Amino acid sequence: MKRTAFSLACIAAGTAALTAQSPPRATSGLTAVEGLKVGHHTLAERPTGCTVILVDGDAVGSVSQRGGAPGTRETDLLNPLNMVDKVNAIVLAGGSAFGLEAATGTVRWLEEHDIGWPAGAAKVPIVPAAILFDLGVGGNAKVRPTAECGYKAAAAASAGPIQEGSVGAGAGATVGKLGGANRSTKSGLGTASISLPTGLVVAAIVAVNAVGDIIDPSSGKVVAGVRNPDGTFADARKILRSGATLQRPRAGENTTIGLVATNAKMTKALVARMALMADDGYARAISPSHTTGDGDTIFSLATGRWDGNADITTIGALAAEAMADAVVRAATQATGAAGIPAARDLKR
Amino acid sequence: MRLQLLLVLAATVAQALPDARLKPSRDEHAANDTITSIPGIRVGHYTLSERPTGCTVLLVDGGAVAGIAQRGAAPGTRETDLLRPANDSRRVDGIVLSGGSAFGLDSASGAVRWLDERGTGSKTATGRVPIVPAAVLIDLWVGGKPQVRPGADCGYRAAASATRRPVAQGSVGAGAGATVGKLLGRDHAMKGGLGSASAVLRNGLRVAAIVAVNPLGDVIDPHRGAVIAGARTNDGSLADARRLLRSGAATVLSSAAAENTTIAVVATNARLTASEATRVAEMADAGYPRAIAPVHTIADGDTVFTLATGGWGGAADVTTIGALAADLVADAIVRAIRAATSAAGVPAARDLPQ
Repeated sequence: MKRTAFSLACIAAGTAALTAQSPPRATSGLTAVEGLKVGHHTLAERPTGCTVILVDGDAVGSVSQRGGAPGTRETDLLNPLNMVDKVNAIVLAGGSAFGLEAATGTVRWLEEHDIGWPAGAAKVPIVPAAILFDLGVGGNAKVRPTAECGYKAAAAASAGPIQEGSVGAGAGATVGKLGGANRSTKSGLGTASISLPTGLVVAAIVAVNAVGDIIDPSSGKVVAGVRNPDGTFADARKILRSGATLQRPRAGENTTIGLVATNAKMTKALVARMALMADDGYARAISPSHTTGDGDTIFSLATGRWDGNADITTIGALAAEAMADAVVRAATQATGAAGIPAARDLKR
Repeated sequence: MRLQLLLVLAATVAQALPDARLKPSRDEHAANDTITSIPGIRVGHYTLSERPTGCTVLLVDGGAVAGIAQRGAAPGTRETDLLRPANDSRRVDGIVLSGGSAFGLDSASGAVRWLDERGTGSKTATGRVPIVPAAVLIDLWVGGKPQVRPGADCGYRAAASATRRPVAQGSVGAGAGATVGKLLGRDHAMKGGLGSASAVLRNGLRVAAIVAVNPLGDVIDPHRGAVIAGARTNDGSLADARRLLRSGAATVLSSAAAENTTIAVVATNARLTASEATRVAEMADAGYPRAIAPVHTIADGDTVFTLATGGWGGAADVTTIGALAADLVADAIVRAIRAATSAAGVPAARDLPQ
């Protein structure tokens, strides 16, 4: 009883302190989770590319796939009912279904480094992947991330700070397409992490290419989305409520793909719940989200390198927070490309 | 001069005519901005007097195509397998939302009995079978006497009282025993409740939501990002679950917190297939994370049903319906909190110092 009162007093004190200073914010992104490396490869011919997340050692992986138009590889394997529970890398790529080929290059790189699931005759690299649709951005739709992209991104992967914005899988990403492609805003790739005093780390990385607008959940304001002629944002939520005719989201123009990771030790089923809860970050920072034209997918990884105790509610809730932060960063760090301005190019 | 005046008057009347035709629905919407503004949908509550708990029954005249998104980790449901698009696509006759944890699923039996007495149900070779999916929330700890639960009698009475009048909101029906903000334990929780909201577009499309709000997490007004009800610190002020989680102050949760779950129905007058109704439920679920944090936890059985009556023949895409449904779920959650009144010593948002 006394202990409860004491801990609640601590929480009250902590809360009071927190109101004075903002809560601990992400600084170094996904690579704050020890054992993860991130590499981008961005194509020169057209704004597109791929991003590879390499796992140094083991990580339990799973996925939440909720958008209506997905393009994925090896996601059935991530179902907690299925056997394999270790993942060697995750690939996020532009280029629509063609971009799934990027994973082939990552598999090749991993095999050359003798990394994979021990399957008797060979070590088989386990590399789930998801793609986004950016073929309409910047001209030649024949230019797509190939196996070479996935190989180069894997070779370039490092545990250092991650480049954000119009890079890798986010190079050709755009948002705010309810008013048509010519009113959209350039988006990109973002990352964020949250580290608790206990040592628990939860982080996210995401390539944001949504039909919807990007919302800062802390204020409810649009930070990137459907543009008005004067460069302000129309607010997709208002457009929808007004009953104005919409540009219907088409498969082939959208999809937000990401990954959340933690250093906690978790079963595959709980890693799946972490992905499901992380998906709440999409709902908070993207509006509308999970449309028939979005293939929204989130992978999840738990490295198990931290021995502390944390419950799935905390981990999942932080994954959702980190994911929303990363989505906002993807939109605010992006630079204009192929004639599509980014949020930072617009007068506010 | 008089002729001119007459002409102007005539023109004004002619201009006003299309508006005049639209007006009844606008006025009607102003009078009823809850889920019963969808033609064919009736709602009845029954609230028990022995303890704050109860049930809410939605009846659909002529039935509706239905879908579901079940994303919380601790659900209590009935007839949800039937709603999967790959399964037999029967129209549902009603949906029951109830307190009382798994015991409360019994209230669906009462709604079925009431429908059976009126010959309503899905046609089979040997008679009509009422199709009534249901979901429950856990409120057994509120007000002592956990053996007091909504039974078949609750569902029967709620069905019998169902009307097209605006839905009563707050601490009523399935929301009577609902609470929110349990991250610091029950003693720091606040009252949840039941809310409803609706929208009507100029083309006649209607979308609406009804929600019984009983999450582990806090309730956020998504327009401002601010907590409006949730876990309270010792001085009674709002702690903000997001800050608690980010600071590590709430890393180990009270096991008593496993008494949650938010359940909702979204309805539209559009004509949808079972697959589309499922997508609308998936999209409507986005209203939960926008208005609740954290949500979909291991201790929440969060579930959203869709009803599509098909009474409106216009063309509306799933994105519009799903996006509006998500907005309205969030609005209905905020309304539930604003309308809630304290019960069993659990304070409501209206009791907070302004």
